[in-house]
Amino acid sequence: MQSESARMTTAREASYRVQYPNSKPRAVKVIALDPASARIVDEISKKSWNGAAFFTAPSFTTEETPGATGSGLKAWLKDLAGRTMDLVSEIEHCDFAVVITTAGTDARAVSVIADACALYHKSLVGLVVPGTDDSDAAVTQSMKHLRPYTRMLVIASGTDYIEAMLTALRA
Amino acid sequence: MLKKEQNDYLCQTGPGTPMGNLFRCYWMPALLSEELPENDCPPVRVKLLGERLLAFRDSEGKLGLIDEFCAHRGVSLWFGRNEDCGLRCPYHGWKYDVNGQCVDVPSEPAESGYAKKIKLKSYPLIDQGGVLWTYMGDPEKQPPLPEFEFSTVPLNQTFTTKRIQECNWLQAMEGGIDSSHVSFLHRGDLSNDPLFKGAAGNKYNMQDLSPVFEVVESDGGLLIGARRNAEDNQYYWRITPWVMPCYTGVPPRGDHPIHGHFWVPIDDESCWAWSYDYHPTRALTETEVAAMKDGKGVHVKYVPGTYRPLANKDNDYLMNRAAQKAGKTFSGIEGIGMQDASLQESMGPICDRTKENLVGTDNGIIMARHRLMRAARALADKGTVPPGVNPEHHKVRQAALLLPRDVQYKDGAKEALVARKGVRQTSV
Ligand code: FES
Ligand SMILES: [Fe+2]
Repeated sequence: MQSESARMTTAREASYRVQYPNSKPRAVKVIALDPASARIVDEISKKSWNGAAFFTAPSFTTEETPGATGSGLKAWLKDLAGRTMDLVSEIEHCDFAVVITTAGTDARAVSVIADACALYHKSLVGLVVPGTDDSDAAVTQSMKHLRPYTRMLVIASGTDYIEAMLTALRA
Repeated sequence: MLKKEQNDYLCQTGPGTPMGNLFRCYWMPALLSEELPENDCPPVRVKLLGERLLAFRDSEGKLGLIDEFCAHRGVSLWFGRNEDCGLRCPYHGWKYDVNGQCVDVPSEPAESGYAKKIKLKSYPLIDQGGVLWTYMGDPEKQPPLPEFEFSTVPLNQTFTTKRIQECNWLQAMEGGIDSSHVSFLHRGDLSNDPLFKGAAGNKYNMQDLSPVFEVVESDGGLLIGARRNAEDNQYYWRITPWVMPCYTGVPPRGDHPIHGHFWVPIDDESCWAWSYDYHPTRALTETEVAAMKDGKGVHVKYVPGTYRPLANKDNDYLMNRAAQKAGKTFSGIEGIGMQDASLQESMGPICDRTKENLVGTDNGIIMARHRLMRAARALADKGTVPPGVNPEHHKVRQAALLLPRDVQYKDGAKEALVARKGVRQTSV
C-alpha cells in the first residue's frame, strides 16, 4: 500500500486544502523616521492595505520627566494627515511595528518607538532604504541606530522593497 | 504571502516562462561527474527546467547534453549505443555527436548531406569540481565559467552529492535561507552530527535561542546575518549567503568543512538538492568523507543505485515517533537533509503561498522572492543580466564569527565573506 506521505503530497491532494482565511488582519504601524522616508511612506499609504497605519516621527518628547521610559513614556507620532497621535497607545494596539529610515539620516527617534514596543512586547522590524547618500558609511550609520532595537533589520537596495515587504506581511 | 500570479511566476521555470528565462542565464549543476565515469559509458537521462535531455561522454571524453529524443521518430536515445564519438539510435541507426549534430543517417547516402540538416538541441556541459555544469541559455550570451569556491578547490578538498527532492525548487531553496528554523527543526543535530559537533560556536546557538536577524542585499544576492549574544560585549554572528538564483551557504562550525546547497529545478514539481562540503585550505579527512558518504551532515543515505533518499515519502521518511517524543529529533525524522526535505515535500508539489502568514523574521525569504521577481522582470523588459551571473558574485563565503556589538557585520566580516584562495574560513 502507498504510504500516507506519498498519497498526501500529490497535486490532487493539495487541492483539498481547506479553503478559508486562516488569519485575521494585523494592525501594523509603519513609522517613517526621517523626512525622506516620510515622503516614500506617504506615497505607499495611498494604496489599499489590510490594517496598516502610516506615521511619521517628527518629534519625541518625554514630557515632564525627560528620558522617562516604561509607563511614564510619552511620545507623539504624526499620522499622514498631520494629526498628532499618542505613540504609546498606537503601539499598544498594534501587532507589530515597522520603522523605515533612509540611509545616513538621523534615525535616533527609533529608541523611543522601541521603548514603547518593549513596554507592550511588540516586535520591531527596521528597514534601511537608499537615500541621497548611498555610501557604506551612511548605511552603517543607520544600522547603528536601528540595530539595538530591531528583531529584524533589512538593508534594501531599492525603496520598492517597502511595499513588497508590507504586502508579503499582509500589512 | 504571495498572490497566486506571483507564486506561479516564481515557481514555473519551463521554457519561455519568465523565471525559466532567468534560470537560463546561469551555469547550473546538471550531473555529478561520477555519473559519466568513463569514455563511451552509458548515457544518462537528465531533466532540467522542464526539458528532457540526455548526457553522454563520447569516445574522446567530450561531454554532451542533448535532446533526449531522436529526431527521426522520437525514440529515447537513452537506449542509444555510445560508440565511435557519437550516440547511435538503436531504432534505425541515426547517430549524433556531443553537440547534437546528426552525423549519420544510414538510409541516406552520406554524400547527400542529409545528416547535416538534422541537429538536436544541445547545451554545453563542463566538468568542474566533481560536478558537470550546464548553461541552457542563448549561446551568444553564455557567461564565463562559474567560480564557486566548492568547485574550484582541489578535488581532495571537496565532496558533493545530490538528492532528488519531490517538490518545487522555491520551497526547497527557501529552506536554505530560512535561518530561523534551525533552532527548532535541527536542534538535536548540533551536538550529535559528526560534521557539526564540537565547534566552540555551538554553545552560543544553545544559549541564545532567539537570534536577531539582519538582511543585507549583496551584488549577487543576499547576506542573511543571525546574531546571538556572546560574552565580552560581543555578538556571535552566523552569516548565510544566497547567490541568485539558487545557491545557498550554511555558516561553518569550527574547522569542519563548509557546506551548502544548490537548488536546481527539474520540473515544476521536483528539484535537485545539491549538497557540497569543502575545506578551503586542507584535504578532507577520511573520516569526514566516510561520514558524508554515510549521509551525515547535509548529505543523505540513498535507495541503492539511485539519488533518491532512503527515507522518502514512500516510507513516510522513516518517521520515528519515539525519537521525536524523547527529543532526539524534533520532527521524528533523522538527518538534517531529510528533516528539511520531508517538511518541504509535505507542503505539496507547489506550495500555496497565498495562505502563508509571514513574520518579520521571514524577511530573508521575502527579499529573495522580491529580488528574483525584480531580476526576472528586468531581464524580460530590458534584457538586464541578472545578479549572480558574474563569476565575481560566486566568490562569497559563509562565515561564523564574534564581533564587537557596535560593529556592523557587513563591515566587520567583510574579509570573512570573501572566498580567498589559500585562506581558511572564518569560523568559531
Ligand atoms: S511553524 Fe513554520 S511552517 Fe509551521
Ligand atoms: Fe534546514
